[in-house]
Amino acid sequence: MIRFFEATLDHGLKVIAEVSTEAKSAAMGYFVKTGARDETKEESGVSHFLEHMVFKGPEEMDAYAVNLAFDRMGARYNAFTSDENTVYYGAVLPELLPDLLELFTKLMRPALRQEDFEMERKVILEEIALYEDRPEFVAYQRAREHYFRNHPLANRVLGTRESIEKMTRERMAAYHARRYVPGNMVLAFAGKLDWERVLDQAARLTERWKPGSAGRDYPPFAPTPARVAEPYPRARQTYLVGLYPGFSARDPRRYLAAVLASVLGDAGSSRLHWALVDKGLVESAGAGHEEHDELGTFGVYATTRPENRARVAEIVAEELARLDREPPTEEEIARAKTKAKTQIVFAGETPMKRLFHLGLSYAYTGRYEPLSEVLRKLEAVRREDLAAYLAERPFEKGVFFELVPGEG
Amino acid sequence: MATITTETLRNGLVLAVEEQPENRGAAFTLLVPAGATTDPEPYLGSAAVMEHWLWKGAGSYDARAFAEALDDLGVRRGSETGVEYTTFSAALLPEVLPRALELFSLMFLAPRLADETFESARRAVEEELAALEDDPPKKLFVRLRREVFQSPHGRNVEGSFESLARLSPETLRAQYPRRYTPRGAILAVAGGVRFGEVRDAVQKTFGCWGGPEVALPAPETTPPHAARWVEETAQVQIGLYYKDVPPDDPRFYAARLASQVLSGGMASRLFTEVREKRGLVYTVYASPGAFKGFGWLAAYAGTTPERAEETLKVVKAEIARLKEGVTEEELERAKIRTKSALVMQSESAQARAGGMVRDLFLLGRVRSLEEIEERVNAVTLEAINAFLAEHPYVNPWEGVLGPVGGAA
Repeated sequence: MIRFFEATLDHGLKVIAEVSTEAKSAAMGYFVKTGARDETKEESGVSHFLEHMVFKGPEEMDAYAVNLAFDRMGARYNAFTSDENTVYYGAVLPELLPDLLELFTKLMRPALRQEDFEMERKVILEEIALYEDRPEFVAYQRAREHYFRNHPLANRVLGTRESIEKMTRERMAAYHARRYVPGNMVLAFAGKLDWERVLDQAARLTERWKPGSAGRDYPPFAPTPARVAEPYPRARQTYLVGLYPGFSARDPRRYLAAVLASVLGDAGSSRLHWALVDKGLVESAGAGHEEHDELGTFGVYATTRPENRARVAEIVAEELARLDREPPTEEEIARAKTKAKTQIVFAGETPMKRLFHLGLSYAYTGRYEPLSEVLRKLEAVRREDLAAYLAERPFEKGVFFELVPGEG
Repeated sequence: MATITTETLRNGLVLAVEEQPENRGAAFTLLVPAGATTDPEPYLGSAAVMEHWLWKGAGSYDARAFAEALDDLGVRRGSETGVEYTTFSAALLPEVLPRALELFSLMFLAPRLADETFESARRAVEEELAALEDDPPKKLFVRLRREVFQSPHGRNVEGSFESLARLSPETLRAQYPRRYTPRGAILAVAGGVRFGEVRDAVQKTFGCWGGPEVALPAPETTPPHAARWVEETAQVQIGLYYKDVPPDDPRFYAARLASQVLSGGMASRLFTEVREKRGLVYTVYASPGAFKGFGWLAAYAGTTPERAEETLKVVKAEIARLKEGVTEEELERAKIRTKSALVMQSESAQARAGGMVRDLFLLGRVRSLEEIEERVNAVTLEAINAFLAEHPYVNPWEGVLGPVGGAA
């Protein structure tokens, strides 16, 4: 059985839980509504760098003690930073959840010791180097930069070598004080747990947190259509990324975008699959819809050998154009919905898998969305809804980007 | 508690079912004993091409009709060719399992293997081979494995562009009956299913599949040595291979716990010494693996050229230091982590189906999660330290891939 609970603590921290009596583990996460888009130019990369520093520990605890504490619980845990969220998460056996909550809560108030800061700067620079060797990542990043241009969603999560080399502990501390405030965070739980107990414990552990909230800039944005190809010396293949206007995390039309992405790009069977993958023309190809805060993007991608580049680009463009001429059929839509049904059962299979959608969706919308509701909304998508979106000709309003081998 | 039942069908197919009554989903993995080690010379890459070709039509279905029939059931599926075998897997709702098995069985009992779909299957593997170029860690391990094994276990699963060019529909069709056979094949099913019903469905569908035994070559290694490959990558890729005990060795659990002390969790030795204390890398790990009758411990680190030499030195020293033994506290931590991971694995049908297939292939039987926990708990400090003293992790095969002058 599944039950949902929510509460707001006095200082503004939202606490939510989806309790499942059948789960064998418990998962929790702090979802901080902050990321690369909330950084100034000088702060570029600070959200992600801070995420690393959080694990170096609060005042009374060093980094090794933090690592030991997690490992002694047998916790599966990690964190990630995106353009607009920083998420700390973990799962343990149910009896250890109070220990995990205590540890993560302490970590939210890191000491940011100078010595740790210098050591971790090196690790971040290695991480930047690692991604330079992943052209797929570079292609997606460059495509976003071309699409969002001056909008803060173009900001790089990792920052740059220069911005990381110049980063100071003081700048990070100020960013932390500004962004990691209770009103800008959600504490989410999923799995086997006792709601009253975790809520009470969360209130006690955070009682000294000062109330506060953080805003976010929403500058106006309209994409400028462009077709761009850029050389990248570390690429041996070509990487095609198309980005087009989609829907925000609060827009009810995001479900129709999900159905459309399935029809166009699902692995194993979809329009792009039959046009490209089945023909052996690409290593991979697909489509997806990404929801942001007040914006969204509909994306397509394909990876292929340089000799297929022109043909693949032409086919992708043709498939996008065809959506307008031949919108998804009732049959294609029905199939996408049937596939979603299985997907949703597996999305709720383990507390850890469930946690991400639960926490992120709440952080964006401020309301609980059970998986059964997601399914209902997907099933309610009609052919006319897709046609209405396609009639706006979204694929003429975006960026068609290719990263190709060659000296830049 | 989950019940596991194993039965060998008359045609040799081994069926294993784990009933997880509370799971609303189900998953299965079918292993067929065709992989790189049994690709006939000079047709390397045959199994990889066959994997793609098999999806392109069976019985009265052409590729598209086949995929759409699975979509109509909401079956999510995938396949992968490996060194020793190929797996075909599916995640689905329990009620569609019989029909999904019927469709999957057609792939093996009545594959079309039509001339007109062959070329696209071969091209798909060429794309995979090309994609390897832009994935430095994977590229390193493909090359290092070739250094380690004298037997066909060192082969690249995708063969080479030359060997792929040699393949024709005729060569593959001639291989089919002796390679895609129920003798040596394993089907594992986990989730909200009943053994009796699954067996009946499997009997009805796969029951009349026939074929001979496949002889698998035994793994043979070269003398440990070092290899160096020059590539213009941002990070130097460092890989090490150590001989370890095979999965059926009584000291197997001691070895697995030792690898946890080395690289399980962020308080583990490698992470602490290489990343936390020295900031040399973003990624460093050691992870155990096995072929039938042979076990290894592989280690990886990625770092920028000027720090490669120090990184290699520290990683090797930490691994060699295992021979001095582990502490009571480290052993305890490794046990807790293992136990926690087992519980979390038990929540996922896909993870269990994959684990069961591997157990059956490597050990000839499925270990229950309870059995694994018991065996792990039974490893004493004396036993693990005696094992480490008599089986030191030293003298590895070494592979370094990166720019000139970047170390080692």
